[in-house]
Amino acid sequence: MVFLSLSFWREAGGAMNVNYLSVAPELILTVAVVLLLMIDVQWKPGYRWWGIAAALGFAGAIAASVMQWVGHRGEDAAEYFRGMIATDGFSAFAGILIFPIAAMALMTAWPLVRSLGRRGAEFVVLVMIAAAGAHLMAAASNLVMLFIALEVFSISLYVLAGFTRARADADEAALKYFLLGALASAIFLYGIALVFAATGTTSITGIATFLGNELLFRPGILLAGIALLVVGLGFKVSAAPFHVWAPDVYQGAPGGVTGFLAASAKIAGFAAAARVLTVALDARIEDWAPAIGVIAAVSIVVGTLLAIAQTDLKRMLAYSSVAHAGFILTALVGGAAGVADMWFYVATYAVQVVAAFGVAAVVSGPQQGPAPLADYAGLSTRSPGLALALGLMMLAMGGIPLTAGFVGKAAVFSAALDADYLWLVVLALVAAVAGLFFYLRVVVLMYMQPAEGSGSVPVPLGARIVLVVAAVVTVLAGVVPWPLLRWLGEALPG
Amino acid sequence: MSLIDYLPIAIMFGIAVGFAVASLVLSRLIGPKNPTPEKLEPYECGIVPLQDPVQRFPVKFYLVAMLFVIFDIEIVFLFAWAVRFHDLGWYGVGAVGVFTLLLIETLVYVWKRGALDWNIAHRRRRVVDRQLREAA
Amino acid sequence: MTVTPGWYMALAAVLFVIGASGILLRRNALVMFMSVELMLNAVNLTFVAAGRELNVIDGQISVLFVMVVAAAEVVVGLAIIVAVFRRRKTASVDELAGLRG
Repeated sequence: MVFLSLSFWREAGGAMNVNYLSVAPELILTVAVVLLLMIDVQWKPGYRWWGIAAALGFAGAIAASVMQWVGHRGEDAAEYFRGMIATDGFSAFAGILIFPIAAMALMTAWPLVRSLGRRGAEFVVLVMIAAAGAHLMAAASNLVMLFIALEVFSISLYVLAGFTRARADADEAALKYFLLGALASAIFLYGIALVFAATGTTSITGIATFLGNELLFRPGILLAGIALLVVGLGFKVSAAPFHVWAPDVYQGAPGGVTGFLAASAKIAGFAAAARVLTVALDARIEDWAPAIGVIAAVSIVVGTLLAIAQTDLKRMLAYSSVAHAGFILTALVGGAAGVADMWFYVATYAVQVVAAFGVAAVVSGPQQGPAPLADYAGLSTRSPGLALALGLMMLAMGGIPLTAGFVGKAAVFSAALDADYLWLVVLALVAAVAGLFFYLRVVVLMYMQPAEGSGSVPVPLGARIVLVVAAVVTVLAGVVPWPLLRWLGEALPG
Repeated sequence: MSLIDYLPIAIMFGIAVGFAVASLVLSRLIGPKNPTPEKLEPYECGIVPLQDPVQRFPVKFYLVAMLFVIFDIEIVFLFAWAVRFHDLGWYGVGAVGVFTLLLIETLVYVWKRGALDWNIAHRRRRVVDRQLREAA
Repeated sequence: MTVTPGWYMALAAVLFVIGASGILLRRNALVMFMSVELMLNAVNLTFVAAGRELNVIDGQISVLFVMVVAAAEVVVGLAIIVAVFRRRKTASVDELAGLRG
């Protein structure tokens, strides 16, 4: 009975500082993935089973994240697996955010999944693995762990971006995403290696301790490492000038995929950036904060200006996501003080972007890449619900008061003002007003122009649920943001 | 470090050489021999070559090669585990067991999906069968 | 003249830059892909050299993980390149200009 008592197991586990709750979301999703694939390949139960397995996996992962939030936020934060995984309010909130977003994205993509035939199971599995990787990016407290999580996340997304074989531009999008993503990963990894060479550790808290206490014998290598880390993460969150892949990938990827790609890359990328910058490199804030400020300013200006000229909804949203990356980075110039504001913006933007691309997937087709704006003319007469949802998301992204977008912009601007970045806030305000132009243009197009096509647009059930949830969240967080803001005050790295 | 410490390496080396020599000798002793011109060609693999190999390889080679790369490189984790085998004890065995199970699961999936099916005609028939099933 | 780990790190930096310029300058997807591999292996060299100099094992352990991740990336990347090649009979990224805005 030596196997059942497992005392040796627990002893060794104690030395390794094992805590299964800290990786419970990943474990649950992995088990769900294995069951989904094995049962599918053996008995071929079809897409209903995929839906059940994905729902169970995401529900379990959300429950585990909530348990982490209850047990490990604030003072109870801890590191497990020899400092590889941090379980704190930060990683718990990331889970509470990422898994519902992934589930929502999967619901809007369901018509695409069903059209893929037998390959649909692999699509569902890749979304689940990417979500697990994204959460692991927020929970990693060692830079090598962070790199592995980043690759688990990115590699799944490369495949998802080119998942339809029906269109030539999908594999064009996948190849561009892959080549530039691989370049970004290599740059990020070289940053890790240089930080390791300068400090002798890859542990995030270890780096913080080292930089706080000891005299650096190689400041140049550390600075180069920080610069490369920032560039690598800038690629992933599509901040300018590292955004060149975003428009092509957003436009070329199947409509059902783009929402997940846009939302999860922002959540995971900014979670990783916040932990690396405000925990590991906190002692060096005067080195990286100005660089972040400049990247934020460039992103806001470039994203806003280029979005104005677009004639394709998905391409416009891609440039708008570059601008939003800039707004979110604005919160980080203040260091750890801006993390809660960053979370508010990231969370509300993720909901908006999933819903906006969800509408694009319904109107332009889940397999289709391009979504010409002409398709949306007079949408209010063809499908009032879709027009209302997309219009609300456009207003929220533009930052109209009483939507979550307004509160988010106010939050990140106040964080930047606290850090004395007045020039950045002024620039961002001007750009936000200019940005209203292209968001409102979509609303005008939908409500004030005659419809070109005729007949109503049927909305699948999954997309309908997602749009209602997103609209409710966007309005609620815009009208009564205080509970969420207070809550996010505890979603900080431990 | 005394010479006795090298004993396991010497035994390992002996087993490696012994296995190779034994295989060669045994196959020479008990294998049937009826040589034909085709079998005596360089790079003989049992099939009469149809043309010079200066051409593109079919994509199925690529698929198998990719699967090989994946499964091959995962072995690298076993090296790290083998170095600390005694310290990690049963915990290490359990962890590596889970890791190996996941790898086997992947292999089973790849196999069942027909990615290891070398015979193109087989795979075509499988696709036709499926289309017939779906039509029915 | 003794060869210290610093030399290896300098060599790694050179290799990394060669790889990065390969991605930016070459137009064949396969060659760009090889450049990515060169960059990753330059990082591996940095890890090993830094670990040797600081006398910690983390550098070598990191390399194992990077190798496995790089292999996974190779497989996915080649699959995408093969898919593009089958459709277009070319692997030049200049041909990939269907998405413009």
